[in-house]
Amino acid sequence: MFLARLIVTCCGLLAIGAPGPRPSAAPNTVGRALQRSGGAVVKLYGGRIGREHGYGTGFLVSPDGGIVTSLSLLVAGRNIRAVLDDGRELDARVVRTDEYRQLALLKVDAKDLPHLELMSSETIRIGDTVIALGNWFKIAEGREPVSVIRGILSLRTNLDARRLSQGFDYRGPVLIYDAITSNPGSSGGPLLDVEGRCIGMVGRIVESANTNTRLNYALPSEEIMAFLSEEATANIDERAGPTSASSEQEQGGAQPYVGIKISRLGYHNVSAYVQRVRPGSPAAEAGIQADDLIISINGRRIHDAADYKDLLESLSPGQSARFVLKRGPKVITLDVQIGAQ
Amino acid sequence: MARSGATFVTFPWRRFPTGVCFRATCVLAALTVFSSSSAQAADPVDPYPFEAARAQVIRTALARIGPSIVMIETVGGEQPLAEAGRGGPRAAAFRVGEGPTTGLVVSSDGLILTSSFNFVRSPTIIMVTLADDRRFVARLLGRDYIRRLALLKIDASGLPAPTWVEDGELRIGQYAITCGRGLGGSTASVSLGIISALNRRNGNAVQTDAKVSPVNYGGPLIDIEGRVIGVLVPMAGAGDELAGAQWYDSGIGFAIYKHKIDFVFDRLVAGEAIEQGKIGVILEPDEPSEIPLLEKLLPTTRGVRIKAVAENSPASRAELRKGDKILALDGQPTGDLPEILRQLSDRAAGEEITLSIKRRWRRFDVTLRLETASEIGKAVEKE
Repeated sequence: MFLARLIVTCCGLLAIGAPGPRPSAAPNTVGRALQRSGGAVVKLYGGRIGREHGYGTGFLVSPDGGIVTSLSLLVAGRNIRAVLDDGRELDARVVRTDEYRQLALLKVDAKDLPHLELMSSETIRIGDTVIALGNWFKIAEGREPVSVIRGILSLRTNLDARRLSQGFDYRGPVLIYDAITSNPGSSGGPLLDVEGRCIGMVGRIVESANTNTRLNYALPSEEIMAFLSEEATANIDERAGPTSASSEQEQGGAQPYVGIKISRLGYHNVSAYVQRVRPGSPAAEAGIQADDLIISINGRRIHDAADYKDLLESLSPGQSARFVLKRGPKVITLDVQIGAQ
Repeated sequence: MARSGATFVTFPWRRFPTGVCFRATCVLAALTVFSSSSAQAADPVDPYPFEAARAQVIRTALARIGPSIVMIETVGGEQPLAEAGRGGPRAAAFRVGEGPTTGLVVSSDGLILTSSFNFVRSPTIIMVTLADDRRFVARLLGRDYIRRLALLKIDASGLPAPTWVEDGELRIGQYAITCGRGLGGSTASVSLGIISALNRRNGNAVQTDAKVSPVNYGGPLIDIEGRVIGVLVPMAGAGDELAGAQWYDSGIGFAIYKHKIDFVFDRLVAGEAIEQGKIGVILEPDEPSEIPLLEKLLPTTRGVRIKAVAENSPASRAELRKGDKILALDGQPTGDLPEILRQLSDRAAGEEITLSIKRRWRRFDVTLRLETASEIGKAVEKE
């Protein structure tokens, strides 16, 4: 606190008192990060579809006009316009999309553009300064540059979220920070570290399944790199196809088998109590008993019978799954070798 | 270029008392003003060491408090509904998430303080996961519906209880950090802000602009040394047990002071439900126009007037009557109607209060024991 007060006070006064041509010599890490990277941010505009916002943010990742943004419905529109930092307005086309990560790669026809190089998100730690840029609420009109917000890295976790009451498929790693970016137009903007290096992309507006509050998060750069380095297979017409999770399931032949019957009361999905364990089944061998309450499997919380069924389908025969159970007043952990049926 | 972790600036002056430190800052600032016209003032300060040092301070504070922050998971219970079967503006505006939530170890023998917000579903089973990943089934002891606190007990010993900041040390503007386990992950999440105000919500809470939400209700607000300033709760608005959650991440968050926790701690340990206490009256503001001229000229008669007294209530037993004026509560002048309601807002049922009453030309004090609204019944609900 005192260091902050000291530095701010001293520098503020220095800036005011010092004569000469440098009136804004006060330290400004955000400003420096912007000087290095702000030129690569683009404002995107497209058609509005229902509740979807017809505008967003993106950033250039190559000098020849490759733009990374989030997969909002604006990307599905025919006329996507990209407004570059220098004020040029260019038509953009969709090169490739990723339904699971909710990413899109666009292209504008231009040369020698300023662009961001993706840095590993592992380079920043909890408490480090992060800076997000975006076209929030279309506040930046015409040639005006996008808005800037700063915060600190708050948490690394895996996303478990809903969007407009629907499920949100992406359950991979995200960077949570304490700056508000869950506003229209901000998704697709870059998340920068204190030196202006891109470590992630601001995600779409979602509500956390845990808290039911809006999350302020970014997809880490590793996920963006993975998307950019993937083979260009999917195109815009295939996007409505089955998601990766369900297609995996179709490929698998044998169904996973544990040997537990979950109790059900009437219409209600109550907590996942074990009603019966089939003798000789993987569950019986692992030591699961009737009346155990399943708390979680492989770290995923099991709230009711439906959750259990969903999770069971994601397991594959031969795999070991970690069950956390409540038995009487105790919490126990058992590893179950998933069988096949 | 100094990157995070490369350099760590120590803070030698933090050993000095606050006053000295502040004075030192002022002197330095003054010196800067006088010396700024000289040639040495031109170099801009390199901000990176400051950024790196601040990040390191946050991590150090988090490392200190981390072992005392627990994750709470609940099983069973339903979404609370404000007005079952009715939609519209009166329906619950906030849906409770599926957890987990956050708690803070307060004693080495297994007492865990958290927010009552985390139990609005009335769960059948509560589980606590310590920072070292040990899991326990917890018992819910008491709840404080006024300060939105709840106390849990797990059968464990040797738990790391945190260090608390003395309430008198707190200063508006100092850094404050909120911590929570509500988003899962292997560590607590952090949000950086400052102390925005002291003694909010009738003196119960400190206000911060760090992010406060279901992500960290029940978790600690800490200073940069990792000491606990207070326990985070939704504390805006009154009534509904979800009230205040709508203010999440707004820059207006609250944490309950240590001395306010101490005030109710024994009752929470004993398993009591601490609810707002009622007198059993309907109050109305004094209308000066109805007062006789002579009385209007006399000062110090301003107050609120009792409009109705509920039968079989603390007020009726104290023989308060319609038309009585309440001048003071526990010796403190009550002022106008909003002021007395504010003063009463954190008085719990079971606590005693003394009212100074003016009835015509007579003044007297009555002491009464507050009761819950449900004990008193219908007349008070209209209030």
